[in-house]
Amino acid sequence: MSLYRLDAMSVAIGDRTLVRDVSLEIAPGECVALAGASGSGKSLTSLTPFGLSAGSITGSAMLEGQELAGLDEAGLRQLRRETVGFVFQQPLTALTPHRTAAQHLTESAMQAGGSRPDHAALVAMLDAVGLADPAIKLGRYPHQLSGGERQRLMIACAIAHGPKLLIADEPVSALDAYLRGEIMALLTRLRHERGMAMLLVSHDLASLEHHADRVLVMQDGEVVETGAAQAIARAPRHAYAQALWAATPSLKAPLPDDLPVPGAPLVEARGLTVRFAGSGLFARPVTAVDAVDLVLHAAEAVALIGGSGSGKSTIGRAIAGLGPVSAGTLRWKDAPLTARRSREQRRSIQPVFQDPVASLDPRWRVSDIIAEPLVHLRPDLTAWGRAGLVKKALQMVELDGALADRTPAGLSGGQAQRVAIARALVAEPELLVLDEATSALDPLVGAQIVALLKRLQREQGIAMLVITHDLALAAQFCHRAAVLDAGRIVESGPMAELIAAPRAAMTQRLVAAS
Amino acid sequence: MRRIALPAAIVALVVLAALLLPVLLPWSHDAIDWDHVRAPARSPGHWLGTDELGRDRLARLAVASRITLLVALAAALVSMIVGIAWGMVAGWAGGRVDEAMMRIVDALYALPFMFIVIVLMVVFGRSILLVFVGIGLVEWLTMARIVRGQVMTLRHRPFVLAAQASGAPAGVILWRHILPNIAGVALAYLTLTLPGIIMIESFLSFLGLGVQEPLTSLGILVKEGADDMDVEPMGLLVPGGVMVTLLVCLTLIGERLRDRFA
Repeated sequence: MSLYRLDAMSVAIGDRTLVRDVSLEIAPGECVALAGASGSGKSLTSLTPFGLSAGSITGSAMLEGQELAGLDEAGLRQLRRETVGFVFQQPLTALTPHRTAAQHLTESAMQAGGSRPDHAALVAMLDAVGLADPAIKLGRYPHQLSGGERQRLMIACAIAHGPKLLIADEPVSALDAYLRGEIMALLTRLRHERGMAMLLVSHDLASLEHHADRVLVMQDGEVVETGAAQAIARAPRHAYAQALWAATPSLKAPLPDDLPVPGAPLVEARGLTVRFAGSGLFARPVTAVDAVDLVLHAAEAVALIGGSGSGKSTIGRAIAGLGPVSAGTLRWKDAPLTARRSREQRRSIQPVFQDPVASLDPRWRVSDIIAEPLVHLRPDLTAWGRAGLVKKALQMVELDGALADRTPAGLSGGQAQRVAIARALVAEPELLVLDEATSALDPLVGAQIVALLKRLQREQGIAMLVITHDLALAAQFCHRAAVLDAGRIVESGPMAELIAAPRAAMTQRLVAAS
Repeated sequence: MRRIALPAAIVALVVLAALLLPVLLPWSHDAIDWDHVRAPARSPGHWLGTDELGRDRLARLAVASRITLLVALAAALVSMIVGIAWGMVAGWAGGRVDEAMMRIVDALYALPFMFIVIVLMVVFGRSILLVFVGIGLVEWLTMARIVRGQVMTLRHRPFVLAAQASGAPAGVILWRHILPNIAGVALAYLTLTLPGIIMIESFLSFLGLGVQEPLTSLGILVKEGADDMDVEPMGLLVPGGVMVTLLVCLTLIGERLRDRFA
């Protein structure tokens, strides 16, 4: 007996049909996952029947024998209040900043007409989602909780009114590999304990094998493959499903053996420390990076791996000259690397950021964006010389020259990231600082960017500092890795050794989760 | 954009009338028609009649609108330039510089502005220049705050970091990356300050502290009209109506621009 059932359901926004003929069935206690690249319509499929997107549905969507198609807003609201719970991707934006955890929970628990929960009940709710020190956490505001804690709080809110169906829209995409595993395990445990049905939207394909019963793979608004999660994870039949699976980095894949041989030391950090002023009246400064030693050689790729708040991006910024250094020394080849850098030093180290769209000035054309470093770092060039190098950089990142006249708004995420890489490459740097350069992209596009980086590494011999929370991704093209926890390097060494025999607890958790 | 069209057209109409009418009319704003003193509205040769000195009300209205709009536009531009420059420097520099610059803004905010303008007028005598100074003194403060906030959110955006990594000096980044990206917000706010400035100028003129005779402004006309509204109500209603129309239309334009850009 199914709880929730979609029958040939389509979603249209205006007169454009974006999802066609999706059928699925979820029984109580079961988990069905929608997998696919971004833009494949999986979020629309999960949210539209409940009136949470701009679209409208045709076909049939039955929840507990009630038809959702054609239901008015009041009816949908009652369903959302009583029968369904939602967990979203960004816990920080999905929680109201000025309300405490207790206020969030109270509101959620009362939304279906329940009585006001007392303190003990609130503590029990946080305890159920595995939040440590629940009594203390009740008084906290969302920004005072860590990413994982926020997601747990949001799950506690989503299930506070005892929903029969939980819709989880990419609940772990914003978290690091270790937390992903924990949160997925939590969702699975809650689902079994409460007999809740769950519709999971995910592009973290590796985890579906363990946490979903059935998987529907979506492409361009249509279901291209459907079946038991384990069967699909082991042997996907459809070409798109295969590509999607292959693009998901996994530690099961063999490590590359054709990496370029590292040369002389390029960057050397000794006792690198970064502190930020704390907030509040009596706050002590926060030490984001604590006495980190790091050496990076020519043509070598080194991964900095850690969860959010581990200080990995701060190290990258310090090396790229974009952030403060409180103590310790940085050297570039044989010269000190300070906040005031020579043109040559600036040219040699170029960053690529996580969000490709935000890293391009929305008002500039692509050709001007790529030429910007040349204007400042190569004043010897004429406009002609710059145009030639811009063209070469576009070819290097495999972009069509016709894109040069567009503005960033006319680019896809993958194209925008290629433009950002082209801008970093145009001045012929020796070191790229890649700050989560693929994590905002969907797996297929991310895999293409990784392939591009590997080619650059092989052909140009560019050294790379790869800042990521994804060990499996880094393993694809990094020589060495340093694992960070709370601003300190807890373990570092060659990639193969790190994966085969992790020593630090943090590394062990990351290896197990990847 | 369509929702801006109507108020924009009305403002354009008022501006056009203010520019053309004084050229087209046979009367100048300070010429006295001795044969028709206190002529009622719609009398021959004087559409809106004449005031108690026999001056054509329509010609005076056109010139008054001119002066009011000119004062508003000039003061708004000055406040925008000062405000943007101040806000960009404070937002970019951050830290102590920002602290100091914003405390100056707070201090100026705290001054009872009307009182200061009145004191200035009493000490230095009435002049249109002082009206500018007085209005400019307050109006840039809010602009500086808004621009500072915008710059602070923009300066940590990756595209600004990328520009820093490509060796662009601060001035170039501010000019080529930051300014174009705050221009929309600044423009919207500029349109919103215009009605405020018109109100201030009219209020000063109404008190007899603003624009000086024989020049005139909407505030002066409203005051004159209010003085003998029991005899000739049109003398108050027409300039008052023009002023209200301008205020409403400019506010609508500003709010809609703000919704678009901010």
